[in-house]
This record gives sequence, C-alpha cells and structure tokens, in this order.
Amino acid sequence: MHELLLYGQVSAARHDQVLKILAGFAAMQPRRILQRRIIYKPEREPEEPGSHLRRGGTQAVAVKQKLQATTPTQLYYTHLVQKLSEEDFGQGDSKTSDTLSADVDFEGGEEPRWSTLFEDIPDTGDRGVSIRFTNNTDLIGGDPHTFMTTSGPNRFVTEYYIEGHRFVHGNVVIFLHRILHEPGVRNLQTEPKVNPPAFEALQLLDQSGTYILEAKVRVQDFKDASVLESGVNELKGFQISMRGCVELSLPDRLTMDTRVKYTPPPGVVTKAQVQAQAQVQGQQNNR
Amino acid sequence: MSGLESLKDVALRPWPANKTDELSRDALLQQIEQLTSERGHLRDITEQSLQANIDAGKDVFNDAKEGSEDDDEEKEAPSMKERKDEILKMQREMASHLDWARFAATNALDLISLVLSADPNKRAPTSFSHTFREAGLNQGLPFGSMGVARENHEHHELKSEERQRKEEQQKRRDLVSKAARMEALDTATDEILKAARNLEKEVRRETKYWQEIVSISDKGWPIQRLRQNVRHVPFGVKYGLPEASDHFKARGFAPLRMDRDGSIILDPYLALKPKTLRVKISEGGKIIGSSQLPVESVVEGLAVEKSIRLARDSLLEEELYHEMSLETRQLLPYGVRLRDSVISADVPGTETSVTARQLLIDCIPRDDKIPDGQGHTYDWLAHSIAEALRLLLTHEHSMRLYRRTQLPSPLTARKQEKKSPPLLRTLLAMLHHLQRVDSLFIYLNTVSSTLRSAGFETPLETSREESWTKLRDTLGKSTKKDLSATDQLLDIFTKPFTGKATLTLPSSQGSQIEQLTIAIRTVIGAPTFGTEYKLALPSSLATDLGLSTENKFQSTTDVTSYLDWILSLHVAHRVLKNEYANRAAAKGNEARVTIASKGSKNGVSVKRDISVELRGGLLALHLSQESSQETHSWSGKGEDVSLKEQVKSWVG
Repeated sequence: MHELLLYGQVSAARHDQVLKILAGFAAMQPRRILQRRIIYKPEREPEEPGSHLRRGGTQAVAVKQKLQATTPTQLYYTHLVQKLSEEDFGQGDSKTSDTLSADVDFEGGEEPRWSTLFEDIPDTGDRGVSIRFTNNTDLIGGDPHTFMTTSGPNRFVTEYYIEGHRFVHGNVVIFLHRILHEPGVRNLQTEPKVNPPAFEALQLLDQSGTYILEAKVRVQDFKDASVLESGVNELKGFQISMRGCVELSLPDRLTMDTRVKYTPPPGVVTKAQVQAQAQVQGQQNNR
Repeated sequence: MSGLESLKDVALRPWPANKTDELSRDALLQQIEQLTSERGHLRDITEQSLQANIDAGKDVFNDAKEGSEDDDEEKEAPSMKERKDEILKMQREMASHLDWARFAATNALDLISLVLSADPNKRAPTSFSHTFREAGLNQGLPFGSMGVARENHEHHELKSEERQRKEEQQKRRDLVSKAARMEALDTATDEILKAARNLEKEVRRETKYWQEIVSISDKGWPIQRLRQNVRHVPFGVKYGLPEASDHFKARGFAPLRMDRDGSIILDPYLALKPKTLRVKISEGGKIIGSSQLPVESVVEGLAVEKSIRLARDSLLEEELYHEMSLETRQLLPYGVRLRDSVISADVPGTETSVTARQLLIDCIPRDDKIPDGQGHTYDWLAHSIAEALRLLLTHEHSMRLYRRTQLPSPLTARKQEKKSPPLLRTLLAMLHHLQRVDSLFIYLNTVSSTLRSAGFETPLETSREESWTKLRDTLGKSTKKDLSATDQLLDIFTKPFTGKATLTLPSSQGSQIEQLTIAIRTVIGAPTFGTEYKLALPSSLATDLGLSTENKFQSTTDVTSYLDWILSLHVAHRVLKNEYANRAAAKGNEARVTIASKGSKNGVSVKRDISVELRGGLLALHLSQESSQETHSWSGKGEDVSLKEQVKSWVG
C-alpha cells in the first residue's frame, strides 16, 4: 500500500479553531485518537554503502552474485503501534509478571489493538505530494514486543505517544495530532512499558504545543496511473480547500528517512583511512 | 525713382583689362561668363559685329534705354526749392505708406497669432508684435481671446425711472425666490417624511424578518447565509437530513425570501405539497387496514416553521419511497411488484389460501383523506410497518455517517458500488422469518404435546430470533463507541435472522439426554435467498440410524415430514428396541419393530410387528400380528395410556 501525504502546522492557540473548521469541512465529529508507538532498530548493522560494488579483483564471480540476492542492502527502523483509550493511561506500575498482549476477542467485536508499521523513505517523484510505501500488519495474538525482537532481530529503541483527532473527508484521512513522550526514562528503558504512565505525566516533544496536520490518501493500486492521479487530485483539492486556514506542504524527503544510517565500526580501518595514512607516510619519507 | 536718378551718371565701362594683351585663362573664363550673361549666347561675337552694335547704340541694354527716356523729364529743370518740397512731400508720403503697411502687417500678425494662440500648444508671446505684447498681453489680455473690452462703470448713474423699475424688478425677484425657496422646503419636508416612512417600514420589515428567522433558528433549524448575497434573500434554511442520498440532500435547502411586509415567503420547495407514505394491507383485493399520518391540524408557531417541518417530513417519506422503488427491482422473485407507482408485496404464508394478503405501499399527498369503505381491523399492522420502514431509513442515514467516518479503504481501480439500503428486504425477511418460525414452532409444539400424551417427556425450547434474546448483553458490552444503542439495535435487523428450536428426544432412563436442534435462518439475498432450516441430529442417533448429522431443508413441509420420520424412527428403533432388547428387531428404514413374544417355552415365538407413525401431530401405533391388526393413536389430548404401556399390553 502507498500513502500520499501532505503536512501542515497548527499552533496551539489555533488548534480549537482548526478543529472546528475541519469538523465543519468533513461534516463529522472529530474522533479522538491515542496511540503509542514503539520504535525498533535492526540488531544487525547495515552494510557499508557501496559495499556491493566490486572493489579490486575477485576470483569468485558467480558465487558472489548469489550471496547478494539474499541479504538486503538497506535496513529500516520499524514501528509497533498500539491503539490506546483514555482509560489505558495511568493504571499504575506494572508487575513484573505482566506482559504485553495483543490477543483479540473477535467474538466480542473487538478490533486488533496492536499492529506493526513499516514506512519506506518517500519516493523521489515530483507530484506535489509525498508518496511512500507503507505496510501495516495487525497483530492478533501473543506478545508484540517479543514478536518484534525476534523477527528481525530487532532492538527496542524508544517509545512515544500520539494524541490527536482524526477526520475523514472522502478518501482523505485528516489527522491533527502532536507527539508526547515520557521525560527522563528514555535511556534507561530496554523494553516497552506494559502499562502507559498517567497521561498528565507525559510531556510534549515540541514544547510550544504545535500540532501537526497530516492529510493522507491511501492507494492500493499504485501502478494504476488513473487511480494514483485521482488520489493525488483529491489530496490537492483538500490542500486548496484548506488554503488560508492551514498551509499544507510537501515535507523534505530526507527528513522522513527511515533507513538505518551506516556508521563505520570503531577499530575497523576503512579504505579511505588507509589511503590517508599512506599519504602522510609518503610525505614524511620525502622529508 | 530716386534710385534711377542716381544711375544717370553711370556709364558702362569695359572691364579693366589686363596689362598684358594676352588674357589669362581665368580672365578669359570671366569674359565668357560676362558675355553669356549679357548676350545669352556666344555667337557672332566678332570685332565687327560688336562695333556694329556699338554704333547702333545697342551697347547699353534696356536699363540704359529707360535712362534715356528720363532725360526728357529732367529737361523741365525744376528749381531747388521746388525740388526740396517735392522730396519732403514724397518722403512724408512714403513714411505714411510705410506706417500704414507696418500697422496692417502687425495687425495681421497679431490676429493670426491670437487665433493660433487659441491652441494651447502655440501659446508663445514671441509670435505677437511688440506693441500688442506691451499693451495687450502684459495688461492681462488672455491668449486666444477676441473682442475684449474694458469699461469702467464706476460713475454709472441711473436715472430715477430706471432705478425705480429696477427696484421693482428686484423686489419681484425676491418674492419669487422666497416663494421658490418655500416651495422647495415644502417638498424637502415631504421627501424627508416619505423617507422616514420608508425607513420605518423597512425597519419594521427587517424586524419582522429577523424575528421570524430567530424563531426558526430557535426551533433548531440550521440557518445558513446564502453565498450570492442577493437582496431580500439573505438566508436559507437547511431542513433536509444531512445523510440523505444526493438527490434528496440537494432538496433539503430552501432560501428564506423576504416578503414586502417582511414576512418570509414560502419557497417553492417548501410550498410543495407534503407527501406521506401509505401502507395498505389488502386481503383478496379488499383493503383491511391502512396507515397514514394524520393531517396536521394543530397550528403552532409560524406558518413557515410548519411548512419547513412538513417539508422535512415529506422529504424523508419521499426518500423512503424512492429507495424502496429502487429495491423492488431486485425483489421480483419474492413477489414484489411496482405498478402504477404502488409497490405491492405478497405477505408470505398466505399464498395457498384463497384470500391472498398483500402489502400495498405508495406515496400520496399528505392531505388526502382516507377513502371510506375500508376495513380498519389491521390498521395497527399497517402503522407498525410504516413506522418500521421509517426507522430503517433513519438507521440507514446514521449508518451512512458511520461508514463515512471510518477509515476509508485504500484506493483501488475497482469502484465500490453503492448499495441501496435494505428496507423492503428487511421487512420481507422479517415477515418470512416470523411466518416460517411460527409455523414450525406450532408443529413442534403439537408434536411435543402428542409425545407427552404418549408418555414421553420431550421438553421444547424455542427462540424466534437468537439475537433478540441476548440483546441486553450485546448492547451492554458493546465496544462500538461510534454507534448509538438505537443504531446497534436496528443493525440487528439488517443481519440474517436466526431462530432456534431444541427438542429433547424421548429416551430411556439413565442414558444421555439427546437433543434435536433446528436452526432457521432467513436472508433475502446470498447465500440462501430465503429461509433455510438446518437440522442437527445428536451424533448417537445419527450413527444408530445411519444418517448424517446435519441436514438442510428449504421449506417447512420438508422439515416437518423429515422430523416426523426421524421421530417415529427414534421411537421404534431406539426406544422400543431398547425396551425389549433381545426380543426386538428393527428393519431397515421403516419405523417398524418386530417383537417376539416373551416366555414361549416351546421355542416357537409369536412375532408381532409394531409400526410407529407420526403425521400431522398424530402419533399412531399399528400392531400387525399375522392376520389381525390393531391401532392406537395419540393426538395430544390427555390420553392416559402411554405408548410403552400400550405396547406392553399388546406384546406382553
């Protein structure tokens, strides 16, 4: 599935006004959304960029191509998304025996609360909207944290919370939200909390309280030009309608990069370092 | 003249020749030039011809000849004084001529300059003559002006009569002006008064309009400013339901026009005749019940409000009718027809009887009177049906909002078709289901009572619709926050109806309780397109009798006959056979047991065939023993002999 996206900013003072405007525009009441997002990073370090290019001579040409096909060259951060409600916050300290559970009671009409979310870096195309590939899979059982750590394998990075309101206008999903996090504990955690802390204990990530307005159209048949075109047009139509209220714009592609950056491991001598050393030595010899 | 006189002494002399006889080249050219200019040509210029010319006096040309004529005048030889006078006179004459010429020339110059100076581009004082500039322009004479006169009236004395006349004139003029002023003031007052009246009217009008607007707004109608700010139509009222289908949504808005006196003019949309849905029940072509909204008689509030309310109601009814008439296209197999804008539907269960019952649904003006000569016995049913249909449409409206606010599915090339709301389908499914369930339950009840009278305990549990029985639980712990309880309740009706009956089978003591379960499921649409009966047999019975545990049936008669057969088989093959364990032998698929008589010592046993028959709630037991036949039957009305006792009495 692909997402077409536009983003805008709403200052905290204008939030109520914009909320009302959007409610009138979408002809529906805002729907409160609370989410917890947990970020995971792959355990494996990414390969050095350009390492798949042939350097120097090789003697095993045929074997090498086979190896490349199996290992992905890029690694991405992934999310675990948990839908929350107001009651879920501040249920006190969790016991050690408690674990996260994604079990769903389908008989009772429950919807899955946990899902894994993968977001690719946006496309390079220039259509006036940001386009990226995403994959959202609902989890319907088991411990989501364990699932994430073992599939990958992944490492827990951090968790944060999203609060906001959602509107739907045609195929455009409008999400006015801001990001909260629990202050102080970030570096100590090694796994997500079983119970979220009290809502009041959370702090805004952006201290000014500015809201993000995200307008999204989801497209299944990305290859079909007419479908994509209609999606883009609908999103742009929304952008035009909101002109003067909220300026929606195309975010910088690289700010939405979800790839894991390559950092050369310490102690390993790279080719560039070797060359630099050789130069220095050469200069010393010349003297 | 005087010039000519001075030429008198002049004689032509040859050009001073060069000292040398030889002519230089330049001199020669000069000579030739002179000759050409004197004679015009260079022919015949020889010494002789020139000499001849001189002799003939031709050496001097015309000028010289004139001079020679003047010589005659001078012959008169005037005196000195005379001559001086003459010269003076001539001088004066000449001066006056010159003056006059100068004057005329400057005049002409000034005139032309003045004319030209009318053109703003040519306004240059330099083009005027000096005197004009001094005397005219510098004294303030404007450019381009003609005929300017400056007079001094300071010492203008009027004569007494004239003064009198003038004063009188003045007085009269004053009077006239005073009168005119008074008249003007008068009309001005009139105008102001008129304006004030107009303003007052306008204010009253606006007040009235606003009062009505406020009163409409207070009643809860959303008032909306019109986009094109037309005079007299500043606002409109939105009375249509927000989730109505597109056509009806567009109709749900009417501008509130201002009348001359300020009251609100009814828009054509509002003034349309309100319509209402009418449900009639006919039996054998005779109407035995009809529903209709009462004609609104109580007038409260403004006429506009009333008509807005009526228009809103009418819109709902019309949409309801519209949706249903679209729905009839899919429902032909269920006996639904649309003819003469009347939707007719067969009420199920009465197809066989002579007086077929039909539902007739149409949309009529609300003011129409109910025609006489109709039965009113089934008015309650018609009313309920009409109300149910309305409820279903409002439910559909809130479901539209609900669906709209859910996360939309990702865009695909396939367009999702809009389904028409299930109104008639729900109604039909309901009617079908209730009829089927009831007829089956009646049958089961009679069977149960018959069996009880025959000495078998067969408790029967029935529920017409599963979800109704556990309604409170489902609503209580519902997790759908976006849907109101009413909508969740109504949502049950759009789902398949499922009735359930459980019949406990008669069994011998000590053995497990075995139950027959019949599920009745009604859907108008895929997959069953009607009612389906699912009969689940207990597994022990199924294995004993060699039948499959689950059977599906399409009609009540099928299922009842199958049940008859199963129950009689059960009684014969299991109950009686267990009773007479070794002596009984069951045969095939018939409900017949052969029981050998007890206690025959000589080894010859008398075999008696006992067959059980259950049909139409009547349990019959047939005994055929060689030649004789006996029959005993139970119909569920307080017989005291149980089946087992009866068999025992026969068999011993």
